[in-house]
Amino acid sequence: MFRGVRRGAAWVVLLSLTASLAACGSGSDAGGDLTTEKVTLRFTWWGADDRHKRTQQVIDMFQKKHPNITVKGEFKEWNGYWDSLATTMAANDAPDIMQMDELYIASYAERGALLDLNEAKKHLDTANFDQKALATGAIAGKQYGLPVGLGMYSIMVNLDLLAKYNIPVPDDTKWSWDDLKSIGDQVSKAGGGAVFGVQSPGINDAAGLSIRARQQGKAMFDADAKVVLPQEIARDYWQYILDLAKSGIAAPPSVTVEKASAGLNQSATATGTAAFGLWWNTQLTALTAASGAKLKLLRLPGETQGTAPGAYYKPSMFWSVSSRSKYPAEAAAFVSFLANDEEAAKILLTERGVPANQKIREAIAGQLKDTDKAAKEYLDTVPVSDPPRITPNGASTLDTILKRHTEDVLFGRTTPDAAAASFIKEVQSEVDAAK
Amino acid sequence: MSALDELRGLRRGGAQVRKRDNRAAFWFLAPWFAGLLLVTVGPVLASFGLGFTRYNLIQPPRLIGFDNFARILSDTRLHNALRVTFTYVLVSVPLQLACALGVALLLNRGLRGLAFYRSAFYLPSLLGSSVAIAVLWTQVFGTEGLVNRVLGFFGVEGKGWISDPDTALSTLIVLNVWTFGSPMIIFLAGLRQIPEVYYEAAAIDGAGRWSRFWRITLPLLSPILFFNLVLQIIHAFQSFTQAFVVSGGTGGPSDSTMFYTLYLYQQGFSRFDMGYASALAWFLLLIIAAFTAINFWAAKFWVFYDD
Repeated sequence: MFRGVRRGAAWVVLLSLTASLAACGSGSDAGGDLTTEKVTLRFTWWGADDRHKRTQQVIDMFQKKHPNITVKGEFKEWNGYWDSLATTMAANDAPDIMQMDELYIASYAERGALLDLNEAKKHLDTANFDQKALATGAIAGKQYGLPVGLGMYSIMVNLDLLAKYNIPVPDDTKWSWDDLKSIGDQVSKAGGGAVFGVQSPGINDAAGLSIRARQQGKAMFDADAKVVLPQEIARDYWQYILDLAKSGIAAPPSVTVEKASAGLNQSATATGTAAFGLWWNTQLTALTAASGAKLKLLRLPGETQGTAPGAYYKPSMFWSVSSRSKYPAEAAAFVSFLANDEEAAKILLTERGVPANQKIREAIAGQLKDTDKAAKEYLDTVPVSDPPRITPNGASTLDTILKRHTEDVLFGRTTPDAAAASFIKEVQSEVDAAK
Repeated sequence: MSALDELRGLRRGGAQVRKRDNRAAFWFLAPWFAGLLLVTVGPVLASFGLGFTRYNLIQPPRLIGFDNFARILSDTRLHNALRVTFTYVLVSVPLQLACALGVALLLNRGLRGLAFYRSAFYLPSLLGSSVAIAVLWTQVFGTEGLVNRVLGFFGVEGKGWISDPDTALSTLIVLNVWTFGSPMIIFLAGLRQIPEVYYEAAAIDGAGRWSRFWRITLPLLSPILFFNLVLQIIHAFQSFTQAFVVSGGTGGPSDSTMFYTLYLYQQGFSRFDMGYASALAWFLLLIIAAFTAINFWAAKFWVFYDD
């Protein structure tokens, strides 16, 4: 396989060289009419099984309406997704339509890989999007991504486990991070080694750390893409994670790392081996299906103790079109279908987040399952503050840097304080390197 | 016509035939050769050029001189990757060759069903660097995997072997040792070449099994051992798949399975720094070349050619 990769990399280099020579010629026009010829669009996304099924149904609907357009779906797990996107992008073989994340959108947009969707306005209806929501996918006035849905960070609690151990559900309107610790401890004690209180944070997502900073009125980055995260906040964050592991509130480090690397369906929440976990509220449906347990969304701890709520509306993901797509008009039409078609929305529901399209949000309200309703209600009721700046170009490795530091702390290879200093330094140097 | 004339005639004809054969061979080789130029030589040369640039995969490369090579000296994560890779190579290759030789010696004793055993032991090296085996490995060494079940049977408490930075690399070393099949086949062929008379003569002189091994088998097998050693070291330096799959592409936990090639890959495809990745590729080439040169130099002292 290494040989395969090496050869793949060789192709990449070769193709990109020829591509830069051939870049002058272009295919169809983003503002032109839709073609009547037979064309194939490639559409890629990451996600779990539930998403793949729903998305395929919507693709089938689109193809029925546009018999000359074939949409080929390509889906992967989160990790493989970004590796493969980088590779295909460099090989000038990028899919036409991409599911894009906040972490990467600046990195791709600033390297010129994404189409300014304004060029395809004729085919892409954004009338029902709030300007603020649209702005989350724009950089310097260019619309590189159309926000799909909104999500919020939350605590997911397994009610079945709490009921089993006779532990009351905590009052989440004013609980603190210490409260989470102590109730987690009760669960772990009752669980007897098979079930733990808290699924350890800090492995898959830097949002948890960002939330901690925001609750104290700070942030990860400032407007100029400088890392302004105070070292004490990062230190306290890792100290907290270390305490969870050491006191047995979270599973032992090697179990935590194993489960976290194995994807959503293998997570502690999905396997019913931890009562509390940090997740995006919109993952409630997928996790309920995977765990078969009754899960409930709780507000984040520490929201009332700090200076500001840490919670915010995060665009769960964007639809982006490759700047090198041969069929930008058709790709935009497909994106428009995904974003505006009510029938499509009734299948997709809130699996990719509560729709950012306000008309669609209302149109599907009656259709929602209990878990989807709960996710929407969470979004409608929980207090938030302004969202953080978009993850700057170069910092798309933020999550993996965080994961490595968490592992170093969990396995005693460094102290929380040293991890905090090293993390800040490394993220800053990544941002600087991309300039 | 004498037999000699006939032979001469044949030889003359033979030259023509050979010429024609050469031409045919050229045409048959042409597709491969075109592939070599386009897919291997061209990109290899291009990567040399890219090593002196900043290239983010999408925008055109920009010359930056020796910056990428200078960075190799100060990149502490790279130094860790080198440490991991050297440990892997220097531990797993000797163990693998020892296993290969041991099993080859056992199989060379004229067992019944030799063909079966040979295939059975060879099988893992066909699968060894495949994704499927790496996935299997995560299961075998997982928290609820086979290893922990066996340990549990003996009352020993296991752990997540792959998700613990202290043991993750060891599981990959075990995986590499397990794929001893291909050097084993080569050893077996070598063992077959050793004339039986040497052993008979030695037995008559009263040499025991051990001294026959040290004084006959090993010296006569040393060219084969050398060949295997060179090949397996190069192979081990280039290992990628196992670490990539087992760590989900991260080289984790805590960079403990960060093979050099994986680090290179991450620089190119996660950090979009193809210039640095190219420089790293050439640096790896230098390392492998140096190891191979040392091997050839050292061979003078221990490899014995029985000509």
